[in-house]
Amino acid sequence: MDFTFTEDQLLFAESIKDFLQNEVTPESIRESWDSETGRSQDLWNKMVELGLTGMLVPEAQGGLGMREIDFVLIAQECGRVALPEPIVDTAMVVTPLLKDLVDKDPRCVSLLEKVATGETKVAIGHAANDLVSDAHIADYLLLTQGHQIHLLAKADVDLEAQQSVDPSRKLFAVKWEANDETLLINGSDGVGLLAATLNRAAVGTAAQLLGLSEKMVEMTVQYTQDREQFGKPIGTNQALKHHMANCAVKNEFAKAVLHRAAYTVTEKPVHGDFAVSHAKLAAGEAANLAAKNSIQCYGAMGYTWECDLHIFMKRAWALDKFWGHSGFHKYRLHQWLMNPNAKIGAEMTFGEQA
Amino acid sequence: MKLSFSPEDERFREEVAQWLNDNLTGEFEKVRFRGGPGDEHMFQEERHAWEKKLAEGGWTCIGWPTEFGGRASSIEQQVIFNEEYARAGGPGRVGHIGEGLAGPTIIAFGSQEQKEKYLPGIVNGTELWCQGYSEPGAGSDLANVKTKARFDEEKGKWVINGQKVWTSLAHESDFCFVIARTDPDSVAHKGLGFFLVKMDQPGVEVRPIEQITGTSEFNEVFFDDAECDANDIVGEPGDGWKVAMGLLGFERGVSTLGQQMQFQNELNEVVRIAKENGAAQDPVIRQRIAQSHAELKIMRYNSMRMLSGQSGSDGSLQKEALIYKLFWATWHRSLGELAMDVMGPESQILDPGQYELNRLQSMYLFTRSDTIYGGTNQIQRNIIAERGLGMPKEPKITAKT
Ligand SMILES: Cc1cc2nc3c(=O)[nH]c(=O)nc-3n(C[C@H](O)[C@H](O)[C@H](O)COP(=O)(O)OP(=O)(O)OC[C@H]3O[C@@H](n4cnc5c(N)ncnc54)[C@H](O)[C@@H]3O)c2cc1C
Repeated sequence: MDFTFTEDQLLFAESIKDFLQNEVTPESIRESWDSETGRSQDLWNKMVELGLTGMLVPEAQGGLGMREIDFVLIAQECGRVALPEPIVDTAMVVTPLLKDLVDKDPRCVSLLEKVATGETKVAIGHAANDLVSDAHIADYLLLTQGHQIHLLAKADVDLEAQQSVDPSRKLFAVKWEANDETLLINGSDGVGLLAATLNRAAVGTAAQLLGLSEKMVEMTVQYTQDREQFGKPIGTNQALKHHMANCAVKNEFAKAVLHRAAYTVTEKPVHGDFAVSHAKLAAGEAANLAAKNSIQCYGAMGYTWECDLHIFMKRAWALDKFWGHSGFHKYRLHQWLMNPNAKIGAEMTFGEQA
Repeated sequence: MKLSFSPEDERFREEVAQWLNDNLTGEFEKVRFRGGPGDEHMFQEERHAWEKKLAEGGWTCIGWPTEFGGRASSIEQQVIFNEEYARAGGPGRVGHIGEGLAGPTIIAFGSQEQKEKYLPGIVNGTELWCQGYSEPGAGSDLANVKTKARFDEEKGKWVINGQKVWTSLAHESDFCFVIARTDPDSVAHKGLGFFLVKMDQPGVEVRPIEQITGTSEFNEVFFDDAECDANDIVGEPGDGWKVAMGLLGFERGVSTLGQQMQFQNELNEVVRIAKENGAAQDPVIRQRIAQSHAELKIMRYNSMRMLSGQSGSDGSLQKEALIYKLFWATWHRSLGELAMDVMGPESQILDPGQYELNRLQSMYLFTRSDTIYGGTNQIQRNIIAERGLGMPKEPKITAKT
């Protein structure tokens, strides 16, 4: 048993972390709120150069041929800076699905190549969400209908923008018509791919939630050292220490669950439901607590638009409800646990999850 | 103990319900259920007109003594008024800081002249008030205020310099009650004065602060040689702390009744949506709704108990009042979270427009501040433990001057 990441995985994540911290700041995010698309092509190009869009693309299609477990730490870093660009969706949701479709439809081969080189962007819809994020900057959309997955050029769909509580999120209601041309896959194959897609997306979202949560705690710990009341830093008060300690415990414990889920979707994707839902719940809880306690520790300052905290808090709010909200994931957990064949024996720590 | 209302009270209820039914119509139809927590920026003008309408009907300040323009209504009748007001969807009261805080403070601590000068404007709904306590360096440590008031012998006026912050509704207000240091060499809660300051004058500047809701309910207020009359100080120079604390007692008293009824309306809205969108099928949501309802009732009963035992008219309440702010603020914050979980994925979608939060989204965000303003949860717990239970105080560090 080894519950750690390899040196390579850690180093790569660290270098992406440095990159993101330099490129994506609260100031740049606020600027993006005023820009037309809310997205930076320049930043996207840099991320392409770093290989991020192609990380999970097979080498045959010009990618790095890595796997979900290799990406999870990077998804955390994307959350930590509240990255507006849809790199997690692209790398962890879109490209693995296209990869699974390579044998079924040749269009997926060229799409994979072009996503890896940055020439093309693909957005993805799923029954778990009513809306599609980042459809406005996509060239193609992967859309679902029942058990079917379809591929449409953006020109062939109608987009209606919907605003999110998080000004960085760009969400769209998509109107479109399916036909034989657009169909990529159908039937039980489709069911399997849609389930796997939801699981990868939920892990990617959980990772971002955890990154956001850690960031909020970091900011707040700093603030409690800088702000003085009663002639001393407010952080000297035990009440605030305990608030932050509670968050740290949640974050740390969500981490193991998240990494376990990333491992499972990589190694045994068909058995991923339980681990994934567990991770989404744990990360969502951690982020919600961090948001609540951080505002509390900031006092009135945390309630202002000017204070950067709300950038992270609102992203956490939005992501907590995307790719399955807590009710959905709790339901999956107890459905699984109450199953008469549930493998929950003492020997099942890492055992197969039925 | 008698947990029911008398026939006379029930007749009063009918009277209130009838009046609201007759008057909350026409031009006021659109303000029904509006202007509550998180929604204060909406329909300000219409709600101010409504405040005057209420006053015409004699429905402002009903608990005040008749000599000051009230009805001297009993606690029971105030309870009933608030119940009926909420049931009819009466809008958030623009006059609540005047009626709930400034007025009772002036009645308890003010001079005859101040009563004559300030109470009528509150009773007839024309003059609005704001609370000038907090400063950049004086939040939880309220006694650390730096704003200074100096008596100018020549002008015969108090001259005020300094800055307040987080001043709710300052931009709509006619007057502000301000705590300022009358003794420039004093520290902490000694040497403060409590002033009644007109907002519309050259020495007062109000700058809105944008909140996480994208709207601005609170402000920075700058005093640059602002003036008030020699007799616009409540109590003597040096009494400011006593007056300010008396006022906080009113904040936890009768003025909580209307708030609870708003809470009830919000909870009802959450339940309605849960039934409509199917969230009510989720056993976890059902339990949280039940919990929320139970706790709202606890609050309701507790405040009835607290108010029927209310001692003097100086704002001082029984010890049990200490627990109230902590309880309602925490409850309301949880209601915000419940509301978002009930809305589910929908909860992140705004109404069309420029960052238009819907009612429950604003409520969710606003409730993040409930546990902060009017004394944070942490400060409330300190008060309960130290003043309520007599536990040892934290070692004092004298505030830097
Ligand atoms: C929506 C809103 C409306 C407001 N309206 C008004 C108004 O109209 N008029 C007005 O005067 N003020 C108003 N305020 C200000 C409010 O009273 C202050 O925010 C509050 O007193 C806390 O002060 P602070 O924000 O400076 O936080 P700080 O005092 O800086 O506190 C930051 C954190 O430190 C904690 N802390 C500080 N000291 C201690 C301690 N000794 N022990 C444990 N924890 C501690 C606090 O609990 C908090 O978590 C408003 C605030 C809000 C959010």
